[in-house]
Amino acid sequence: MRKSRVAYPLTWRVMDGLEGLAARLWPARFEKGLPYLMLAPAVLLVGILVLGLVQIGDSSLRVLDTSTFLMSEDLTLANYHRALTESFFATVAGRSLLGSVIVTIVTLIFAFPYAYLMVRTPSSALRKLLLVALFLPFFIGQVVRAYGWLIILGNQGMVNEALGLVGVAPMRLLYNYPAVLFGLVQYMLPFAVLMLAPALTAIPAELESAASSLGANWLRTFRHVVLPLARPGLVGAGLVVVTLSLTDFAIPAILGGGTQDFIANAIYDQFFRTSDQGMGATLSLMLVAVGSLLVGLVFMLFGAGTLAMTGERK
Amino acid sequence: MSHEKFLTTEIRRRTLLASMAAVGASATFGTGKAFAQEPEKPAEIIVRAWGGSWVDSLKAGVSDSFTKATGIAVRHDLTEDNEIQPKVWAAVAQNRVPPIHINWDTTTNATKSALRGVTEDLSDLPNLKNTTELAKPVGLDGYPIVNTYGYVYVLAYRPSAFPNGAPKSWKDLLDPKLKGRIALYNDGIGFHFPAQVAGGGKLEDIPGNMQPAWDFIRQIKAQEPLLGEDPDFTTWFQKGEIDAACTISTNAREARKNGIELAWVVPEEGAKFDTDGLWIPKGLPENELYWAKQYINHALTKEAQQVWLDGLGLPGVVPGLTPPADLVGDPSYPTTEEDFKHLIRISSKTQVENESQWFGKFKEIMQG
Amino acid sequence: MTGSRSKSAVIWAFVATALVMLSAPTIVVLGASFTAGNIITFPPEGLSLKWYGAILQASDLRQAFVRSLIVATICTLVSIPVGTLAGIALAKYRVRFARSIQIYLLLPFTIPLIGSGIGMMLVFGNMGVLGKLWPVGIACCVINLPFMIWAVTASASNLSPDLELAAANCGAPPLQRFLYITLPAVLPGVITGSLLMFILALNEFLVSLLLVDARSVTLPVQIYNSIRSIITPDLAAISVVFIASAAIAIAVLDRLVGLDIFLKSK
Repeated sequence: MRKSRVAYPLTWRVMDGLEGLAARLWPARFEKGLPYLMLAPAVLLVGILVLGLVQIGDSSLRVLDTSTFLMSEDLTLANYHRALTESFFATVAGRSLLGSVIVTIVTLIFAFPYAYLMVRTPSSALRKLLLVALFLPFFIGQVVRAYGWLIILGNQGMVNEALGLVGVAPMRLLYNYPAVLFGLVQYMLPFAVLMLAPALTAIPAELESAASSLGANWLRTFRHVVLPLARPGLVGAGLVVVTLSLTDFAIPAILGGGTQDFIANAIYDQFFRTSDQGMGATLSLMLVAVGSLLVGLVFMLFGAGTLAMTGERK
Repeated sequence: MSHEKFLTTEIRRRTLLASMAAVGASATFGTGKAFAQEPEKPAEIIVRAWGGSWVDSLKAGVSDSFTKATGIAVRHDLTEDNEIQPKVWAAVAQNRVPPIHINWDTTTNATKSALRGVTEDLSDLPNLKNTTELAKPVGLDGYPIVNTYGYVYVLAYRPSAFPNGAPKSWKDLLDPKLKGRIALYNDGIGFHFPAQVAGGGKLEDIPGNMQPAWDFIRQIKAQEPLLGEDPDFTTWFQKGEIDAACTISTNAREARKNGIELAWVVPEEGAKFDTDGLWIPKGLPENELYWAKQYINHALTKEAQQVWLDGLGLPGVVPGLTPPADLVGDPSYPTTEEDFKHLIRISSKTQVENESQWFGKFKEIMQG
Repeated sequence: MTGSRSKSAVIWAFVATALVMLSAPTIVVLGASFTAGNIITFPPEGLSLKWYGAILQASDLRQAFVRSLIVATICTLVSIPVGTLAGIALAKYRVRFARSIQIYLLLPFTIPLIGSGIGMMLVFGNMGVLGKLWPVGIACCVINLPFMIWAVTASASNLSPDLELAAANCGAPPLQRFLYITLPAVLPGVITGSLLMFILALNEFLVSLLLVDARSVTLPVQIYNSIRSIITPDLAAISVVFIASAAIAIAVLDRLVGLDIFLKSK
């Protein structure tokens, strides 16, 4: 008895014990519930945010009394009415929505070849270089990042100086809408590449060589083989970029010169500058609604990415 | 306006309660230190301050000498004034101990907190009797805040961009040469009132009729101004992005100290004068409240004010301070009645009650 | 052959543009940190390490950096099991209301960070845990959780149901199938996801701002708050130190698990 135990490797015994425990905790007949159990921790964690939303949702129904700076006792839809009727909010919302769509498209166009090269290159050094370059921008905080861009793109910046050498007068490259979109693309690119890369690793390179040996040129191979197979990654990356740029605060603040606010900047102003938590909460909730609708729309148009594959799978 | 009446009674009730509490505490304050039973000293107190040269001045003038006198360390929390506000408000609403002991704040922002009732009453500070009337917040009962100095939103400019001499009027910003070369605060703070005058309106019409201000701001909008915060202005001057800005003189002076070519004026329409102050949030343990009050009391001594405000280059609230050498006779350092004639001062109460509207209007024009 | 040459030319054109876009501001800041002057300029005015000396002496920065490391570690440790399980569940199983669940799990991205920050400040405030570091770690985990989930689901096309069936046929019990087949298949996603989680938490600013106090302030918050009137090169130097320590961390990780294997296509 004792002898056999020693002969049996420890890891096996641990595994057996764990299997037993798992089976007792979650018998096979609960099989159907398993995915829900696996989702539970994530759902609970995001639940913290929902609790927060409930808290600020309450204040969205109250208006600020500027003689006491307290929120009103009685509930009203006045904030929502304001948000929907004042032209300022419409301007800002339109700017953010349009911006997030443009940024998503441009980001995906740049992220795809980047991710492709990163996973396909035979050179390990190049792969690591590409990976590290993705993480670099995160480490300079927003204020320093803004300063960096000013040195490069400012009126007296490097680009304008270079243009000056060929006789082009200095032009304002920063503090306008295109500058904000450019900044967002730069900011979103790492996210998109990192979402795409795992999806691309799953596409066998042989599949491409097969396609080209059958006479397809690389563009067609790309379009008919790689892109469709990469769809889960593209949808994932697209969702990440569209939602993050829709709700971004920092880039419009640092590259917009104060006149290119997105919704999140308007929300910041309400919470922090005019101390109107009700209005800030209202705009936040409306932004959540718009963002979620957008996500639903992406699911409808492009399928749910990985989920679409589930359907075929099981 | 029955509403307003309600407000005043509410505030009176609050002040009454506070002053009753003060009577209870008077034993500690009244009887001199030797006999006073000093409450237990906390290891440290936390003072919210602005970063950079602002906190350096406060440390040199007030915090270090406070630590020396009491042995209590001072930690500075550099969260922005408008960003600490929801944190403090939430702490008071949730009956938590607030994250800071003392808030160094703009009087406008502090007034919001006072109206909301999250400030401790400070009228029993002994050193208040030595202060000028600037220390007293206008339009509030008692001292929910103590103003500690005043400052001016000047027109700062790059002299080389004005070869014909300094700008004389805010209207000079409309010069086509300055298109895309001027900057304002992104909520327009400091600019609304001079704009009212520059637009041909009267200050007495604030807040009733500010159309002249909006008209002028629309003209400015056509000049494509940049909007930002203090660090932005300095950076933009430094990197040649702008030639003129409406900003607080302290920042302009700090930029000049760091070698940026800069000068400033108070234009003929006047410039906004405002104050900053110190206040204590409600919810502190009794002993920490006592020492927080001692800190503010200490900040009102002539010695502390002299060093602190030399750093900031701003006029204080105790008589007999010596202005820094580079600011003698400077319009951004008003001392005489004549100096104040060129400055625009609007009561905090009017400001806080209308600020969100003004701000919204300014945004609407600028974001359009 | 010309086909593949034009292919790599096109790819490289995009990648080169992206590389310039990604690293230009960082390189400028890197260079500027070695300036002998008092402002951030590029190329720097003379070379010196004086700004590094300046930050070396700031003990509050060092403490804030340690706190940021703790926050990032908590965030990553929580997000790995939570995000991996959720990602696998979504990718592998047919889940009822899957789309609604996905939209729900994307809330961290559709709620603006300021809203999340204010909300969590109220929630953690009610619980009386503000001022501690773990709520900040949890908060960073929540707001970035979709990255983890999506990184895992994106790599889930590596999952092979056939392989699992085969294992089951050979008598492998469910937990073993999970540990030896499912998990290795999604490992590329887990690695990229956790790298991202760690780095984002290390640099998180807006939400942390609302959750920390002066005694628990993290590095990005400390840096942002210290700027008031003049931006000096010490900020650039801090960024460089930050990047260097992250590079070391990535190098160590690479040594330990070999990042290469997980990102290379098979």
